[in-house]
Amino acid sequence: MKKVWAIVRRELVERVRTKAFLIGTFLLPVFIVGMMVVPTLLMSGTARTKRIAIVDGTSQRIGAQVQAGLGAQTFSRDGEELPRYDIAVVGAAGRVEAVRDSLVALTGFARDEMPTGLDGVLVLTDATVDAGDATYLGGDAGSLEGVGELRRALSSVLMQTRLSNAGVDPAIVGRALMPADLETRKVTDGRLTGESGGASFALAYAMGILLYFGIFFYGQQTATSVIEEKNSRIMEVLASSLTPFEMLLGKIVGVGLTGLLQLGIWGGVLYLALSRRAELAGLFGADPNAVASLALPSFPPDLLVIFLLYFVLGFLIYGALFAAVGSMVNTVQEMQQFLFPVMMLIIFAFFGMFAVLNDPTAGLGVTFSFIPFFAPIVMPVRWSMASVPIGELALSLTGMVVGVLAVAWFAGRIYRTGILMYGKKPTVREVLRWIKAG
Amino acid sequence: MTAPAVLLEGVTKRFSGHVAVRDLSLEVPVGGIFGLLGPNGAGKSTTIRMIMEIYLADEGRIELFGTPHGARTLSDRLGYLPEERGLYKKMKVVDQLVFLGETKGIAHGEARKRANEWLDRLGLGEWKQKKIEDLSKGMQQKAQFAGTLLHDPDLVILDEPFSGLDPVNSQVMKDVVVELARRGKTVLFSTHIMEQAERMCDRIVIIARGRKIVDGAVGDIKREAGGKHVALTFSHDKDRAARVLADRAIVAKLDDYGASAEVELADGAQEEALLAAPGREGVGLTRLEVVEPSLQSIFIAKVGADAATAARSEEVAA
Repeated sequence: MKKVWAIVRRELVERVRTKAFLIGTFLLPVFIVGMMVVPTLLMSGTARTKRIAIVDGTSQRIGAQVQAGLGAQTFSRDGEELPRYDIAVVGAAGRVEAVRDSLVALTGFARDEMPTGLDGVLVLTDATVDAGDATYLGGDAGSLEGVGELRRALSSVLMQTRLSNAGVDPAIVGRALMPADLETRKVTDGRLTGESGGASFALAYAMGILLYFGIFFYGQQTATSVIEEKNSRIMEVLASSLTPFEMLLGKIVGVGLTGLLQLGIWGGVLYLALSRRAELAGLFGADPNAVASLALPSFPPDLLVIFLLYFVLGFLIYGALFAAVGSMVNTVQEMQQFLFPVMMLIIFAFFGMFAVLNDPTAGLGVTFSFIPFFAPIVMPVRWSMASVPIGELALSLTGMVVGVLAVAWFAGRIYRTGILMYGKKPTVREVLRWIKAG
Repeated sequence: MTAPAVLLEGVTKRFSGHVAVRDLSLEVPVGGIFGLLGPNGAGKSTTIRMIMEIYLADEGRIELFGTPHGARTLSDRLGYLPEERGLYKKMKVVDQLVFLGETKGIAHGEARKRANEWLDRLGLGEWKQKKIEDLSKGMQQKAQFAGTLLHDPDLVILDEPFSGLDPVNSQVMKDVVVELARRGKTVLFSTHIMEQAERMCDRIVIIARGRKIVDGAVGDIKREAGGKHVALTFSHDKDRAARVLADRAIVAKLDDYGASAEVELADGAQEEALLAAPGREGVGLTRLEVVEPSLQSIFIAKVGADAATAARSEEVAA
């Protein structure tokens, strides 16, 4: 055991010392936060009221209604509500093209020092009311968001106009079309939690992704590390001091602990960030009260235990498979081919997670939560989505432990022969012979 | 009587298609330096790997210090330098040695102390904090040699320890091996460099094609080799010397190095015959000495004969 610990410690220490680990641990969260924060900062800095002229060529003069509809739109900058559009309506019945062309000449010069400058020109004709045809001419005509905003406002005004034309009160239709607002709250063990259904889904989804990538990424590291040991020929020295099973165990536990450490650092940072989110929001210029009152999914301690338990068991089972694959080949390129079956298993598990997200109480998801190769990803997601009977959890965990032992036995036999094999990669028949050999 | 350090009885190892080691028996007594000699592909490394329990023998019995093989129970008393050297490239030299010590059951702190001592002793003191990949091949080999000895093993097994080393480093390693033997440790090393084995080993085994050809104390082997051996050195006219040495009435076997030669005299011939041989004038003979046969000449004689026999039997079989 002391020797296994030496292997574990070497794996952990040497891995944590690498630049890749430092970069992965500290830059990845910075990168993710940056991806979320930067676009918001960029957009909030540039948003301003847009000046639009409506060229109203309709016989019904709907320009004023469109002006009212668009004029109600607002956006916030530095905590201040500002109108999104500053609209002027130009009546142009019969001479649409001439008015339009004269206004286009001003478009693109909407600056404070040019009070007559415009961002764009919206042209409405009778065809607008009849068939919905309208034209927008503007410097921002390529902006998906800006044009979408305009289209929604225009559609709503057109609908009201058409309803009025048909003699229907738009207010009645508005009330009739009001959607149901279904509030969802999660119940766990007969108690109402503060969690909304959406938050519970988001948490389960995030956890599933984390398990998937964690097992996948660190599993692959186990395989490449075995290949490195084969190539550097250190394997033979180790094989003279430890049994192949001890080497396999030390390697998987060492790499797995590195993964747990990284997850732990991320989890800790996330916890700190969330518990001090009001102060952090203040730093970024956002409203601390609004951020503090955001509903966050609760992460109960039992879920944390289940998550860690399945991460560890899942890593043991997949780590052993990955190590066995690494022992069979000589280069990372060769590894890809043998990795395929292992990757299929993880991908199936990942699909199983969607089955659970869809219906955590029945069907394929429940079946998958008892299969050792799938349970590591499926069961924690199921646990967080719905209440799982303790008997089913026990069955799933027992299955996992049996699965880990069985896979370790097979992987150990492949590893034992594979680590000292150089040269050509083995055929499936040869690998089966390695497993059978006493 | 104490059990031998290594005992092999009727050991055979087959790989798909061929027999690497065939019915090999040998005994390495406790203490001293034991040489495992043989040409390339003779089965030396396979034999060593079986002793180290890296390969399992297909047939036969292996005992270390009287204990039958199984579960690496004696692994902490063994030190092993494989033929294919290898360390973790990205690891610091001293950390690497500490790790190797720990895999042999030495506590972390003690392993660090010993690693520092060994690195200083082998002249690698300045390189302790460098990564393995920054070291030259020779330095890496010395570092791995230190790793082999860190846990002060009773039986040290070195597979081709001197290959690839310059004379200075070779000397450093030889001194360490000799000192180990003086302290009562058992050293088994394989080589195909006969001069090295001749000067260092108390006992040797020569194997070829997986079979044992010669086994015994170096002195006994030389005595049994028989014949009268003469070492000659010439200062000029090597052509004429070659003609003299080609005289079958005087010379039975010849090991010609150009400027010098070792000859085995033909039955009944005396060393004086070489001096009296016609045409010997002008060869500039600077040395003529009756010597024991060198291990080299015994090796060539025995292994060459074996190769010839094997080739003939294969011909018959075909």
